Amino acid sequence: MKTYHDIQGDGGSDVIGQVKARQQAIDTALAGVRHVLAVGSGKGGVGKSTVTSGLARSFQRRGWRVAVLDGDLNGPCQARLLGVEGQPWVPGEGGLSMPRSAEGIGVVSFGSLLPEAQPLDFDSVSKGEEHTWRATREFAMLAQLLGSMRWGELDLLLFDLPPGSERTVQFADFLGARASFVLVTIPSDLSRGVVARSISALRASGGRLLGYVENMAGYYCHGCGQVKPLFPSAGPPLKTDKLGEIPFDPEWASTDDGVSPGLEATAQQIHDLLEASS
Amino acid sequence: MKFLCISCDEAMKMQRAAPPDGGGSISAVFACPSCDHRIAMLTNAAETQLVQSLGVKIGPGEVAAGAPSEASGCPFSGMLSEMEATPSDGVQWTATALERLDNIPEFVRPMAKQGIEHYAKTNGHLTIDDEVMEEARGRFGM
Repeated sequence: MKTYHDIQGDGGSDVIGQVKARQQAIDTALAGVRHVLAVGSGKGGVGKSTVTSGLARSFQRRGWRVAVLDGDLNGPCQARLLGVEGQPWVPGEGGLSMPRSAEGIGVVSFGSLLPEAQPLDFDSVSKGEEHTWRATREFAMLAQLLGSMRWGELDLLLFDLPPGSERTVQFADFLGARASFVLVTIPSDLSRGVVARSISALRASGGRLLGYVENMAGYYCHGCGQVKPLFPSAGPPLKTDKLGEIPFDPEWASTDDGVSPGLEATAQQIHDLLEASS
Repeated sequence: MKFLCISCDEAMKMQRAAPPDGGGSISAVFACPSCDHRIAMLTNAAETQLVQSLGVKIGPGEVAAGAPSEASGCPFSGMLSEMEATPSDGVQWTATALERLDNIPEFVRPMAKQGIEHYAKTNGHLTIDDEVMEEARGRFGM
């Protein structure tokens, strides 16, 4: 009797063919993108999204053509951070045009489609069992988005990842060899412990890790001109390169720009690593 | 998943697939190409949902159009009912402009449509054609 592997195809739907076609559509859509950089952490609330939008602005000022894809489908905030809330996604030749920020950064974020009080809610024939299929549905949707946007010629596509060490690894698998990763932490025992786990998991999965960024690395006191600590202990050192430190600076944080000197220096470091890899 | 006709030792082919019924079950009919023996695969709601989560269509060739698709996993379902209650206020779409909408993923189609209609209304366009869409793209998009 024949076994599964003796039979070619699946009898009609060609599910594997459909998945391959979607992968080819992504490859085609991203053909003009020089670098894909995913910004993750594992820990929530460390400033991934703020660092991502700041990096986008910094690279854009260097003359790079930059876009941001908000991979945090359930807590999208890039539309607000980069100022494209309510801007339409317009279908055109070669795919969907992404909204463009005032600086010229392309932004793909569900935050520009969904009001902030509106959760991302899928119709389902299987009520009450969302934990069994939700992640699969979200990655399928991201794949459709990646393949149908008109990315054009870009120097850098930044991915703002959702929290969760397991999510970081899933995204490494999803994005494949085209992506490099940067992890964001804050100098606390708790955060470093979680990010250390993300580093190990990312390495085990074969993801290309450039290093980590220490956000909220103290706060800049405008009274005395010094950076003072925010946390009592930074925790054990992480086993990857530190790409920069970004102190919290209330004056920078209150501006629309948000690109502090610490963020600028971090962007320079990442810039050099990306250029060296190409 | 594949089905084998044991008598003929031959892979069965899908003949047709019906979209999910009220209980979320898909029925797909398979037949042996040699002896024409037929079986029906019936899924429960959880199995249907897992397949739909992959964003693939089930069914052979043209039949796939009637099978579950990405539309059934629309993440904006909560908003669609509100949109239906908000008609387009007389804004018309040309056939070619609607064709453009057909070329984007179904899950963003309603929101893209609403965004362009809003742009058209606020800029005094009564008809949405390729020119209006290019205008919107030039204003907002890359």
